[in-house]
Amino acid sequence: MTRENLQKAFLTLVLIIVFGLPLILRSPTYLHILVLLYLYAYLTTSWNLVGGFAGVLPLGHAAFFGIGAYTSTVLYVQYGVSPWFGMVLGGVLASITGVMIGLPTFKMRGAYFALATIAFGEGMRVMVENIDHLGPFNINGPRGLQIPPLNVGLANLMFTNKEPYYYIILVMLIAVLAVTYFISRSRLGYYLNAGGEEPEAAMSLGVNVARCKLIAMAMSSFLTALAGSFYAQFSLFIHPKSVISLDLSFEIAFIALIGGRGSIVGPVLGALLLRPVSDFSRIYFGATLPGLHLIIFGMVLILVMIYLPRGLQQPLTKAYNGLLNRLDRRSR
Amino acid sequence: MAILELRNLIKAFGGLRAVDGLSLAIEEGQILGLIGPNGAGKSTAFNCIAGVYPPSSGEVYFCGEKTNNQKPWDLCRKGLARTFQIVKPFASKSLLYNVMVGSFSRTKKRSKAEEKALAVLKSLHLDVKKDMNSGNLTIADRKKLEIGRALATEPRLLLLDEVMAGLRPTEVDEMVAVIRNLRDSGITIFLIEHIMRAIMALSDRIVVIHYGKKICEGTPKEVADDERVIKAYLGEDYGVS
Amino acid sequence: MVFILEDTINGILMGSIYGLTALGLTLIFGVLKVINFAHGSLLMVGMYVAYWAVTLSGAHPYLTLILVIPVMYLFGYYLQDIVIKPIFKAESEVREPITVIIVTTGVWYVLDNLTLLIFGPHYRTIQENPLRGKMLELGGMLISVPKLWGFSAAVLTAAAVYLFLQKTSMGRAIRATSLDREAASLMGIKQFKIYNIAFGIGTATAGIAAVTLVPFYNVFPTVGVLFDIKGFIIVVLGGLGSIGGAILGGMIIGVIESVGPQFMAATWAEGIVYGLFLLFLFVKPSGLFGVRYDW
Repeated sequence: MTRENLQKAFLTLVLIIVFGLPLILRSPTYLHILVLLYLYAYLTTSWNLVGGFAGVLPLGHAAFFGIGAYTSTVLYVQYGVSPWFGMVLGGVLASITGVMIGLPTFKMRGAYFALATIAFGEGMRVMVENIDHLGPFNINGPRGLQIPPLNVGLANLMFTNKEPYYYIILVMLIAVLAVTYFISRSRLGYYLNAGGEEPEAAMSLGVNVARCKLIAMAMSSFLTALAGSFYAQFSLFIHPKSVISLDLSFEIAFIALIGGRGSIVGPVLGALLLRPVSDFSRIYFGATLPGLHLIIFGMVLILVMIYLPRGLQQPLTKAYNGLLNRLDRRSR
Repeated sequence: MAILELRNLIKAFGGLRAVDGLSLAIEEGQILGLIGPNGAGKSTAFNCIAGVYPPSSGEVYFCGEKTNNQKPWDLCRKGLARTFQIVKPFASKSLLYNVMVGSFSRTKKRSKAEEKALAVLKSLHLDVKKDMNSGNLTIADRKKLEIGRALATEPRLLLLDEVMAGLRPTEVDEMVAVIRNLRDSGITIFLIEHIMRAIMALSDRIVVIHYGKKICEGTPKEVADDERVIKAYLGEDYGVS
Repeated sequence: MVFILEDTINGILMGSIYGLTALGLTLIFGVLKVINFAHGSLLMVGMYVAYWAVTLSGAHPYLTLILVIPVMYLFGYYLQDIVIKPIFKAESEVREPITVIIVTTGVWYVLDNLTLLIFGPHYRTIQENPLRGKMLELGGMLISVPKLWGFSAAVLTAAAVYLFLQKTSMGRAIRATSLDREAASLMGIKQFKIYNIAFGIGTATAGIAAVTLVPFYNVFPTVGVLFDIKGFIIVVLGGLGSIGGAILGGMIIGVIESVGPQFMAATWAEGIVYGLFLLFLFVKPSGLFGVRYDW
């Protein structure tokens, strides 16, 4: 087999496994964990569009997640609008907000953008916690919103089993990975990388760096908001501290960074490797050693930044390529 | 018609006038050299032309159009390209990637951009290294890559900021040949250089600036014999007569 | 009317302490060009050191400065030397290494959660506390005494740091590095040594802030996060890198927080702070004074 064919075979194998998994794994608990795992992989991949390719550090993505969750939930609970529609509308709203934050900050030192996104995320949470009614919309302040589990079905993005959720988030994840792949090979991808690495040189080569970053930010916040709507329909309960928390913003960024910013597989790998660590330590050591998983996170983050600045994907990609080469040679 | 013209260009940073009333013109197809002691304002003049900073006063005309407040990326699309004194490769990327960033300014299509970039790399004899990481190149190759990236934007005017600094004599000769070839292919060249041998050999005309002001302009021969130029380089005490 | 004046004064006092917590942040940014996300956690460490020093020895809280300042200086010095320096070395060509910001966030996570692991989530307050609830009556107004001391500490520390940077040769070396690190190292200034020292001083000022907070503030593992976010807002308001701006920015936040609740729900005052921050980013990103560095 040639290299390309090996790669195709590998990809097909992965797809067969992920699509077939619910047939073997019937336990709702495991499926639940997997759905959240894919959700994180989706979020980190969306984050990567701006945090990885554009070379800036957004630390407020939970705000976009929250915009998505609240938009679809309010519209569905109060007006009976299908969450699919709310999802898209939330994405558009998040996109506009993302551009608004990027507009003044992308022209300044990177630190300003990082700080602005944090302040925006926190400001948003404080606002939602303090508002019961926003015009005609009831957002119910700190108590959050519950979605009554009636009228289940695809039209309402609500199911009694975990399987449909599993397949929906899986398709979303594959879609966002495909988007990332095409962007990385397109002019926009080249421009984002160039502008992130050496803005002055990029500008002299015809790149409007700030505009490219805005486009990336618009896409990233749009995609993040879609996940927010999905999460709301999956958990049927949202409140400011769960969907707009600083912890979530940071977790998204750090998983992506540890996995490898700017690469396509990095953020997914990060989620696959780190989510189980935090689930495991929360389940087994949550009572005796609180915060253990965050200590591990912090340590891994520091070590990765010092020794593997391109993330855990760096050695793994190398090993994968080595394996492909060896198989390639053997087959000849 | 002059492809580039500066009229009484002034750029001040606070109280300091880095460029102080500079006027000059380059005819299409020429090579113009810009020399002057360190801190004379050469790179600042380049930055004003390329749209990095807006001039404090005076005018910049590129292809007959006043371009004072235009942005670098717009000027690039109009046919102005440049290199940087301190090279700025996209260090984590390959040579091909670097040059493709340039060639994408003329096409949206990846295949076309790649084709163009490969042609540019080949013309600079860098094609064998196309997949190398640009951060690992030698100085000479980095300088060539810098030129290659600029060429990929298909410029009419190329600003070269000390592309020979730090090169060995044989590399300087190679670079001189490269620049001659560029001119022969129809690109106008404006270059800052400290290596006199190279600038004397290349330039059709030379402008000398000191403290931001033009002190002399002429053919290489005229400039080399000018008393003010010798003073500016060697200090007031240096007896010429 | 008297209430508003009283709230304003107490707001200025508390705000100056916020400013003191942000002083190290702005100093470290000025020199290293990096936002130290672990700054709040360093403040938290300082508070635990002061808390245990008082609890174990029974000394007056302010006396712990003798211990806290050197301990925090060394902690900051070696934190930069061991954890942060390798990144700078690896990315020496990068103008503004985002990776350094990320590493300081890792430090934040480790410090906060290690403290949680060791000392538990409990809120701690000093038991033998001569300053608890002490008030000064001034024309019908009640002014908190520990906050008044905190205000004095903030102004004195800011002045001391300013004079140190202006008048001493070490201060000049630090300023030179902050303006142009390449040029400074050409002049024989050891860049990384300066980074260590600047980080040490920044951490020591967080220690001073910690000592002034301990007599009237709860000590708990995530106390730093609160001050961290406030610190970010303050340094942007005051101008990143400006010492005077940090103190003044802190006072503005303090006044909004204490006067605001007279007119609206307290949490809304918090919202106003964020709004003001974003407004500044849009309208005047260089901060109140419009200068990058005033030293």
